[in-house]
Amino acid sequence: MAAPPRPPPALMDELVEEIALRIPPDDPARLLRAALVCKRWYRVLSDPGFRRRFREFHRTPPMLGFIRNLGPHSTFVATPSFRPNRPARWNCPAVDARHGRVLLHVAAEGSGRSPLDNPFVVWDPITGDRRELPLLRSSIYPSSWNAAVLCASSAGVCDHLDCHRGPFLVVFVSSNGWRIVAYVFSSEAAAWSKHASVQLPVPGNRISLGPSALIGNVLYFMFFFGTSVLKYDLGAREISQVQLPPECFLARIVPMTTDDGRLGVAIVVDNRLYLWSRESCPDGDAGWVQSRVIELEKLLPNEALTALHGGVDVDGIADGVAVIFLRTDKGVFTIDLKSCQVKKVYKDSWISGNFPFLSFYTPGTRHWQQPLQLRDEEQAPQMPDKLKILNCRLLHQG
Amino acid sequence: MASAGSGDEKAAAAAMITLISSDNEKFEVTEATATLSQTIRHMIEDGCTDGGVPLPNVTSKILARVIEYCKKHATAAAGEEGSSSSFSDAAFLEVDRAFLEELEEFDDAFLEVDRATLFDLILAANYLDIKGLLNLTCQKVADSVKGKTPEQIREMYNIVNDLTPEEEAEIRRETQWAFE
Repeated sequence: MAAPPRPPPALMDELVEEIALRIPPDDPARLLRAALVCKRWYRVLSDPGFRRRFREFHRTPPMLGFIRNLGPHSTFVATPSFRPNRPARWNCPAVDARHGRVLLHVAAEGSGRSPLDNPFVVWDPITGDRRELPLLRSSIYPSSWNAAVLCASSAGVCDHLDCHRGPFLVVFVSSNGWRIVAYVFSSEAAAWSKHASVQLPVPGNRISLGPSALIGNVLYFMFFFGTSVLKYDLGAREISQVQLPPECFLARIVPMTTDDGRLGVAIVVDNRLYLWSRESCPDGDAGWVQSRVIELEKLLPNEALTALHGGVDVDGIADGVAVIFLRTDKGVFTIDLKSCQVKKVYKDSWISGNFPFLSFYTPGTRHWQQPLQLRDEEQAPQMPDKLKILNCRLLHQG
Repeated sequence: MASAGSGDEKAAAAAMITLISSDNEKFEVTEATATLSQTIRHMIEDGCTDGGVPLPNVTSKILARVIEYCKKHATAAAGEEGSSSSFSDAAFLEVDRAFLEELEEFDDAFLEVDRATLFDLILAANYLDIKGLLNLTCQKVADSVKGKTPEQIREMYNIVNDLTPEEEAEIRRETQWAFE
């Protein structure tokens, strides 16, 4: 009979950490199972220092799922290796998701969707924390509006990789047909404040509910009709418009951040996905450049391209991981812009908005307010003695 | 041990280093091979490698494997440096790709070891401060626990579960989905 294999030796904390750092961030369940191996592995993997190094090691938070709206409901559609802290289904639609938070708008049955009558809720799918915002008192009646949630620290101050438990802002932009106003809710002040108001250059142009883009401290929202983008500068508290290329007219448009941090938009026309990016010129006058065209007929299955109800539309973008959501008659597909890999992520086509959820998730995150105290842990193995080598150096230098 | 024959061998032949394992076996290696270890590089810089470098935490069996890794990667690094000046960009990229493919094949074959050896290699890579080897071996362990339950991981790597049932239940409670 063969001798049993030699058992592997014990590793020091720093080496347990080196191994766990290399677990892909899009597989948080693997990290959680590793944390349950023994006290030491749990202690190492749930330590805030590990959480910080894990983020630094991987840099880009993975997409752990997306929130999709179906009528007045929204559902968190999670990847196989993640589940949100309950509930995953809400009786209200999602309006935005960013920096580890989801913005929901409580639209009670029969009361309409006016944000003056129904509050916003900010939900953290990882900790399960939710906060209902006070009702907004607006100077105009919002016949069209959109809103965005974001970390309260401005770009450059926060890397937005693990700020989901910190202070946040909700930006609300609305129009009554001839004026646009912007209100900002600060979680620290626990109040809304009016930030800007401007005459609408194109009367009647309505703000479109759907994904927004954040570039630096500037938020971009879409108008209906696709003639321009609404730009709200949080630092300067200024509302302005950015004209879109004529090709975007009447298309469903989703704003995005380009690889090099500029404003871009994605549209689908005749089964082609067009990506446009805003070029800046030395004289300050900027224009649009068509940066990429992707033939969807080569990527999507044939049945998804049949235009029974309106064909293929852009429905969301996960900036940072460069994934575009496409709504088709046969469900929702994602396209990875780097690899051109296509995945079917949802079977229903009758949805109105996909908000990707990007976040790191390491063990102990849900216990962060009261870390679990483990009892009587055995002594961890010590670092092997490097002293002999060091002694040699010291003797030599001496 | 036999050295890989290459152009840089002549230059390095003048500087051979003797490494001494915990079981007192001696290994003669070129400086280029030895300096993949930051620990040994510092010793060479300090000039304290005369009479050999004792490595009391590394057995001869593991040291032989570590040297095999360092030789391959030192040769590849030297080959890349040498090729950059004598090839056109396209030819350089081709050579670069061939090097990388060969190295990947080598690394894959190198990792075909039992789990105890894998952990020994991690300890040695850490002790000798060889970043590439530490990355390679730790990634292998991280990959090996994919889809495994805590019980399977404990069994694979000889880890005793010292969590109390209450602690285990508490950890599982909020993330039960990860264990289904």
